[in-house]
Formats: sequence, C-alpha cells, structure tokens
Amino acid sequence: MRVVLTGTIAAVAAAAPVGAFAVDYLTLEQAAQLIFPDADRFETRELALDASQLQTLEAEGVRGRSARWSLRIARRGDATLGVVVADAVVGKFELISYAVGIDREGAIRQVEILSYRESHGGEVRLPAWRRQFVGKTAAAPLRVGDDIANISGATLSCTHITEGVRRIVAVVALARRNGSLGW
Amino acid sequence: MNGLPIVRRARPLLGTLVEIGVVRDVAAERAAAAAAERAIDAAFARVAALQERLSRFVPSSDIGRFNAAPEGARIDIGTDARTVLDAAAKLRDASDGAFDVTLGSGAWAWRADARGLHKLAAGVSIDLGGIAKGHAVDCAVAALVGAGIGAGWVNAGGDLRAFGALALPIDLRDEIGGGVWRFATIEDGAFATSRRVDRDGNARHASVAAPQCLWADALTKIVVASGDATHPLLARFGARAWLHAARSLAAA
Repeated sequence: MRVVLTGTIAAVAAAAPVGAFAVDYLTLEQAAQLIFPDADRFETRELALDASQLQTLEAEGVRGRSARWSLRIARRGDATLGVVVADAVVGKFELISYAVGIDREGAIRQVEILSYRESHGGEVRLPAWRRQFVGKTAAAPLRVGDDIANISGATLSCTHITEGVRRIVAVVALARRNGSLGW
Repeated sequence: MNGLPIVRRARPLLGTLVEIGVVRDVAAERAAAAAAERAIDAAFARVAALQERLSRFVPSSDIGRFNAAPEGARIDIGTDARTVLDAAAKLRDASDGAFDVTLGSGAWAWRADARGLHKLAAGVSIDLGGIAKGHAVDCAVAALVGAGIGAGWVNAGGDLRAFGALALPIDLRDEIGGGVWRFATIEDGAFATSRRVDRDGNARHASVAAPQCLWADALTKIVVASGDATHPLLARFGARAWLHAARSLAAA
C-alpha cells in the first residue's frame, strides 16, 4: 500500500474552491449493445403516455413523472430481444444518467450508468446547469481534469436510481400491455 | 495518468454506485477490450451475488434469515458472511462494543462459528452496512485479478481499492456544500470515508487507508466514533486515518 497525500490536512481544510467531478461511462448506443450483444439493430420508439395511463402508473405506486419516453427496441432479424430505456436522476449534488435493459418477459436484464456529474454547490437543481450536459456523449466528454480520479465520500445513495428503474419497468410493462411495443 | 487505456463502468449495487475501472492491455487491442468487459462483468456479478447473501433487505439472505429468526436459532451462513462477521466480531471485541453491526440491538447477542450464526437474544438484528461494502470491493478486486486484469480499481460509493501499477487519485466529496477536492493518490491499497453526526449535531468525517477495503471500511467507523485518528487498532491492520471535520463544518 502506498498513499501519497496531495496536500497537508491543514491545506486541504483551508482550500476554498472545490472542483466539480464528471465521468462519462457509456453512450446510450454503447450501453444498448452491451446489454443486448446479440441484437443486430435497435429501433427507436417514442412513447407518449396519456392521462389515464399516468393514472394507472400512480395506482401502481409509481409516479409517472414524464409522459414521454424514448425506447430502443433490440431486434435480431424478426425477433424482439427486449428494450433499453435511458433516464436521468438528480440527487443532492449529482446528476446521474443511466440505461435500463428489459427483456421480452419484462424482467430487468441490466442497469448501466451512462454518466455521473457532481456539481459544486446547488447548481444541480438549476435547469441551466443540467442543460449544459444534454447531448454530451463519451465521444465528446466533458471531463473536469481528464484523469481517473475517484470520489470517496460518506454518502452516495442510489435511491433515486432504484426509484427510476422501478418507474421504467412499470412504463415498459404498461406499453407491453397496451400493445405499443408490438410484442 | 492521462492516456492510460481505461475501461470504466458503473452500476447501482449495494445501495450505492459501484464503479469498476481496469487498465487494458494495449498490446492486444481488440481482444483486450473484450477481455476487460468480461472481467468487469464477472466482478459486478460477484458483487451482486454478495448483495443477495449479505443484505438485510433480502429476506432469504444470511442476514435476513438471522434477523427473522427467534432467540436461540442457529443460521447456516456462507463463507462471505463468515468472513465479514469474523472481522466484525474482532473489531467489536477490540473496541469494547463501539463497532456494532447490530446498531444497538445487541452488540454481544450474536456469535459466528463453524456451525453457523447464533442468535443469542430475541430482537437482535444485524446490518452489515458498515463493513460489507469493503468486503465486496475486495471480492470484486479478486474477481478482476482472477480474470487476468493487471491493474485497476473498484469503488463502492467511496469505499475503494486500487491494484496493480496504478496511482489512483482520490477526491474527497464535500458532504455539505457539494463538490470535491483532491486528497491523495493510492497505489495497491484501499481507502474509505465515513461521516457521523452525534446527538449534539457535531459531525465527524474520517478517512482510512488500509491494505484491504474490508478493514478500511470498518475502521472508518472506529475513527469517527472515537474521534481518534491514531486509534491503536489502526496499526494492527496496517491502516492510516485522517479526520477532516473542519472543512465540512465550515461549509455548513
């Protein structure tokens, strides 16, 4: 084991500005390929939930949050393998985007984090701060210091992601039931 | 550091984000990328399996069964639960009960031995949240090494371990104001951070470096509970500790 301190504890404690932190793991396309490696193509399908469908979700204990969802259907030849849905959640300081792969039977196959961004301060709740990341991909990374830094902290809960995954599973189940996915 | 061919993935596990990074073998470019993905998959699978066996939220887990069992029960447990519980017992005994996986429900009311996990009192329940993440990181590292990966890291929500020829920069999160600041680099070792707020609202924030993540993770609890960054237990496990309460409090 070798630990090299970057500064003395006193210097760390006195350092006023703290940096931000961001990592891009995968694009949605890369994640879809990883989750469904046998797929030969992915078809995009836009799903718009109406008021009664949102109410159905609420009745299932899932807050619909958004009426519009973009789905990537994994296909191989004529066969449908499943679907990949991307979403983003906002925590206390962090914005995390992720993709959920769901198989034909509606079971979760895999959840992959696409990107992680941590703000310094409360900007994470500002639409303007979040907008700057729209459309950013691993090919155009927005890295703060292009290195392999890792965060150590006392609290990082994935409660929001767990809730988000549950919501996506419910949305996909609803779409399957009403025939919107064509399988 | 820049320019290393890194494959980096993250998944939600253990109630937090688990990140795995591996340095690819540049000599065999395409094959190396696929091998890295397979190794990372295997390491995530190991962590997911551990979660199934050790989480108190999984009723069929070793811990879930213990918590639901009546007084006097003996629960069959796997080797992972045994490893973690043996470490927990060692720290409990050495810290006079300050390290307590029962969270006050009966620090001395359980015993793990070759026959299983014994429930010595009614109402005692175990939560391995203060130590199992560290073990999971160690297991994921072992899975990567077993898959032929020479260098990389695993970070389970801040409990992390680096291995191989790699100096991993560690940023500490400001728990109150947000943002991070660079703290250290670590090579072939583990690092964990904990925070504890006492009844008077005073927060202590501590980090521990140790050769194994299980000990780094668990020892942070000893350091935040005691407020002693030179606690005698640290040396026993080859660990070093830092207290950094001032900055987080200043930001509040």
